[in-house]
Parts: sequence; structure tokens; C-alpha cells
Amino acid sequence: MTKSGKTGLGILLGVAMGVFALPVSAQDGGEYGVLMKTLSNPFWGAMAQGVEEGAKEAGVKYFIQAAESDQAAEPQLNLCNTMLERKPVAMITAAINSTNLLPCLKSAQDAGLKVVDLDGNLDQAVLDKEGIKITFRIGSDNVAAGAQGAEYLVSKLGKEAKGPVLVIEGLSGNITGQKRATGFAAKLKELAPGLEVVASLPGDWDRGKAASITNDILTRNPDLVAIFAANDGMALGAVEAVYAAGKGEQVTIIGVDGNTDAVKSIKEGRLNASVAQLPYLVGKQAVENVKKALAGETVPADIAVPTLVLTKEVLDAGKEPMLQYVK
Amino acid sequence: MNPEIAKSGYWAQAQRASVERLHIRLESLVVLLVLSGVMAMLSPFFLSFSNFLNILLATSTIGVLAIAATFVIGSGGLDLSLGSVMGLAGVVGASVAVNLGAPAPIGLLACILAGAAAGYINGQLITRAMVPAFIVTLGMLGLARGLALVISEGRVIYGLPPVMVYVGQGRPLGIPMPVIIFLATAVIAHCVLGYTKFGRHTLAIGDSEAAARAAGIRVERQRRILYTLSGALAGLAGMLFMARINSGDPTAGLNYELTAITAAIIGGTNLFGGRGSILGTMIGALIMGVLQNGLNLLAVQSYYQQMAIGAVLILAVFIDQYQLRKESRV
Repeated sequence: MTKSGKTGLGILLGVAMGVFALPVSAQDGGEYGVLMKTLSNPFWGAMAQGVEEGAKEAGVKYFIQAAESDQAAEPQLNLCNTMLERKPVAMITAAINSTNLLPCLKSAQDAGLKVVDLDGNLDQAVLDKEGIKITFRIGSDNVAAGAQGAEYLVSKLGKEAKGPVLVIEGLSGNITGQKRATGFAAKLKELAPGLEVVASLPGDWDRGKAASITNDILTRNPDLVAIFAANDGMALGAVEAVYAAGKGEQVTIIGVDGNTDAVKSIKEGRLNASVAQLPYLVGKQAVENVKKALAGETVPADIAVPTLVLTKEVLDAGKEPMLQYVK
Repeated sequence: MNPEIAKSGYWAQAQRASVERLHIRLESLVVLLVLSGVMAMLSPFFLSFSNFLNILLATSTIGVLAIAATFVIGSGGLDLSLGSVMGLAGVVGASVAVNLGAPAPIGLLACILAGAAAGYINGQLITRAMVPAFIVTLGMLGLARGLALVISEGRVIYGLPPVMVYVGQGRPLGIPMPVIIFLATAVIAHCVLGYTKFGRHTLAIGDSEAAARAAGIRVERQRRILYTLSGALAGLAGMLFMARINSGDPTAGLNYELTAITAAIIGGTNLFGGRGSILGTMIGALIMGVLQNGLNLLAVQSYYQQMAIGAVLILAVFIDQYQLRKESRV
């Protein structure tokens, strides 16, 4: 290949890259940088929709980026650093874990940017040690979500109900799953002491694992009355195991997330309820609050976006105004 | 075989290899420069000193892993455990410092030793138990990642002593420490592979194991050293990332082995051994770094970035093969 041929090839390559590029927006008023974990998950997809809608309504510019997967910790850090080169006025970040973005958040703070913890992935103790002050944290209150699950269960079975209950936790050590499980257990104890949590086991967010746990516990406690799973995937695994054991009528099953599969299962009358998070609303409110903070208004340090209990009745009636945010 | 003849044949090969090396260096250098030019035109943020450092910083871990890949692949081997060993090393280092309270230098050393130990096991199994390198290192990929998760209980181990954090976050003369360590490693590795007996033996084994053996090279021993070196470099990469984020992350380096191999191949390392240079690999790693950085600045979705890197890989090997065919015709 000749020298000019090589250069030609290179330019061709460059032009091909250029086609992929989205238009770069101007700097007036400043851009918001939004860094997600990944977009290949409906939860984050809905949140991105909320960001888009919120930015449109607030009339602000933003650019949104995500790592290739929700485990790409270092790539997300590199991405975060690169986003700073665009000189945004705020960074709204959903960190993959509590430490992977620390150096980038520090640089952002040093550059005078507003830093937001999207969906509560950062650890306040770590932030204090690193000397990072975030503008606010926004997301669902996972303890409250668990408690709502317990409230639903008690409303269905009554305060005097008795019987064994199974709790399926998330990945062992994961804070989100722990909060949901403990929120559920604490509220249940308070409202209906007769309903006893006989086992609380990590299902690792895995549908299959949740199904085998359910099988095991059903063998031990054939009179099981309810299962609370820390996400919908595991709840759906429990549903399969319960129906396979012919105990669909006996066991009330509750999940968390309100994802499409869960909504379908609830409509079919299999899954009893799911405490829906509203990622769309989280994204939208994040942008709105950053705008407020940049304008000098005070914004609460912790913004809890409400969760909504989805049941067949709620879905069939379709009257609940927050249903529009279930994406 | 007469050792004299073997030696002269070996020298002829070495010379040819160095010419080929030079070729791919020019090729990839042109691609790197053109790519940078295009990015500078497309994004007003690309051409700045801080972004230049940012690219080097983002390339530092992958760059160190790519050096390891160049040595091993150059010798006709393969190390698929690079990314997992990197994750294990960071967790071991952080655990030694945070949970056992060891002083900072021990914590840093522990990363490299943990990596070297994993590499040593790879080397032993490959040369003594005669299990293929693909299988051994694939097994180590699972073993090391699993062990990292066990040690850390699936969580990040946060809060290293300040000296360890300095290795990741310090900026003497404004240049990030990981970049300094990465570049120093690259220079040493380049000299070792290009200008020492160890380096020549490495590529000779990759070119023809039988010929290398006939020429008196202790092939098995060389391989064991190479896999241990590869593990130690993965440990170094793990140390750099650990220090950057002030914590040992058990998921660090997930899938990095393939990215590192990609960088080495783009840089002109022959996948089947016998040819490779660290300078070439560094250019390969930078091509990927510039590509990712530029596309990130343009806010292009990461999915497209993966496509772009895949395309560059095939293109690089295509140009490489084209050159080789042309030469063999002459």
C-alpha cells in the first residue's frame, strides 16, 4: 500500500467515526454531564428518558454517557474524566460502586462543578473521608420500598395474620438489597407480629437461584404464606417455584422494581405486587434540581423519589397518576 | 543441527523481524496521527495538554497489560487471565494494607507479588503439567476473579494509606503517577524485548519452538519466566487502578485481557508469535485510547466505540497481512 493510500484509509476511518458523532452543543448556559452505569438495562433507559424530558422542559443542555456494562468500573472512571474535558457545569453521576469515580468527582469538585449522586450509589462515610461534598443525592428510598411491601402484605392478609414468611435478599453485601430486605422485615414486625420471617437468604438478583431457595423453604415450611424478594427478577423466580408446587393461591409474592415482566405477571394474576421504582421520575427531578442549585436556590441534600405499589387492581383501574411514570 | 548454522539462521530471522517491526510501527503511527487529527477537527476539547494526560492516564492500566500480552504472545503463548489477575492483585494489595494494616510499600509490593504468583502457577501448569496455555489461563481467569471476590466478600476494600493513594493520584510536575509508572515500564520493556538476549529468545520461541530448542534456548524455563512476568505486570496494572480509586475493587479489569491482546495485535504483534515490539504495542494502545477519548468527547454511545475498536483491529491485521504478502512476493 502506498503512503497516500494509507493516509486515505485513515481519513476514511476518521470520516466513518464522524458519522457516529452526535452534534456537539454550544457552551451558552453550560451543559450538564450525565454519567450512567449502563444503558443496556430498562431501569437506566427509563432514567435516561426522564433526564431527556426534564432537560427539555427546563431548557437546559446536557450530554449523557454510560459505560459499556454496569461492571466496567475503570472504563466508567476514564469516561468521567473525559466528560470533564468538555467543561460541563454539573456532573450527574450514577457510580458503578462507591469508590470507582472518586478521583473524577474530586476533580469535578475542584473545578467548581455541581456533583450529584444519581440513585444513591455513593457512600457518605467515604465521601467525608475524601473531602467530597455532593450537591444532592437523589433516588428511591429502598428502606421505604421494603416497608411498602410489608404494608401491602398486611393490608392483604390482615393485622392478625399468622404464618411463615420468606425474604429473598439481593447479592450478598449489596446495600440496595439489604435496605429493601430490612425495610420489609422491620415494618412487618411492627404491623403484623404474627407473620414471622423464617428465612432471609441472598438470591444474588438471580431468578433461578430465587426459585431454588423458594423450593427449599417450601419443603421446610409447607404452610408458607408470603415471599418478599428484593427485586422483580427474583420474585418472578419465586412465582414459578410456588406455582410449580401448586401453592399459587396460598403464597403472596411481592417484588421490587416494577419492571415490564413483573407488570405482565401481575396483570396475569400470578405475581401479587411489585413496589415500583420510578427511574423516569428520578432522572427528571435530578435535572430540575440541578437547575435550581445552579440558580442559587437551596436544594435538599437527600431527595427521595416516591415508590408505588403495583397490584392487579391498581394496574387494571389505571387511575393512579404516577402510573404514567412506570416505564 | 550445527549450532553455527542455527545461529546464523536465527540472526537472519531476527533482522527480518526487526524490519517487519519497523514497518508496522510506521503503519500504526500514521493511523494514530491521522486519528488524532480527525478527533482534533471534530472536537474542540481534544487538543489540550490536560486531555493528552487524560488519554495517557486512561491508557495506563490497559497499556501495562498490553506489554504483558506482547511478551507472552510474542513467544507464541497466550494469557487470558490478565484482567482477572489485575483484579485479584488490587484486592490483595488493598486487603494487606487495610485489613492487615501492613505499611504502604508492602501493600504495593503485595499487588505485584500476587500477580507474579498467579503467573508462576500458569507457567508451571503450562510447561510441567503440559496443559495448553489457552486452558490454563482460561481457568486462571475464573480462579483469580473468584478468589478476588472471596477475599473482598464481593465489596470494594476502601481506605488505603496515603502513600499508596499517592501512587495513583499524585501528580509530580503535574503528571499523574500512573502515567509515569506506565511510561517507565514501557521503556524498560521495550529495551528488554528489543535489545536483550531474553527478548530475542522470547521472539525466537514464538517464531519456531523447535528451532529455538535446537539453538539451545531453554524453552520451558523461558516460558515459565514469561508467564510469571505477565502475571507480575498484571499485578502492576492492578496496583495502579487500586491506587487511583483508593480501594481494591474485585471486579477491576473485567474483560481487559481481550482489550490488552487487541492493543498488542493492532500494534503489530503476531498472534502466533515470533514478532512484536513494545513500541508498536504502545501505539496500538494509544490508537484505542485516542479513539475512545475522542468518541467520548463527542458523546458517542459506548456501543459504537466497541464497534469502532473492533473495526480498527481487523483493519490493522489486514494492513499487516497485506504488507507480509507483498514482501514475500518480492
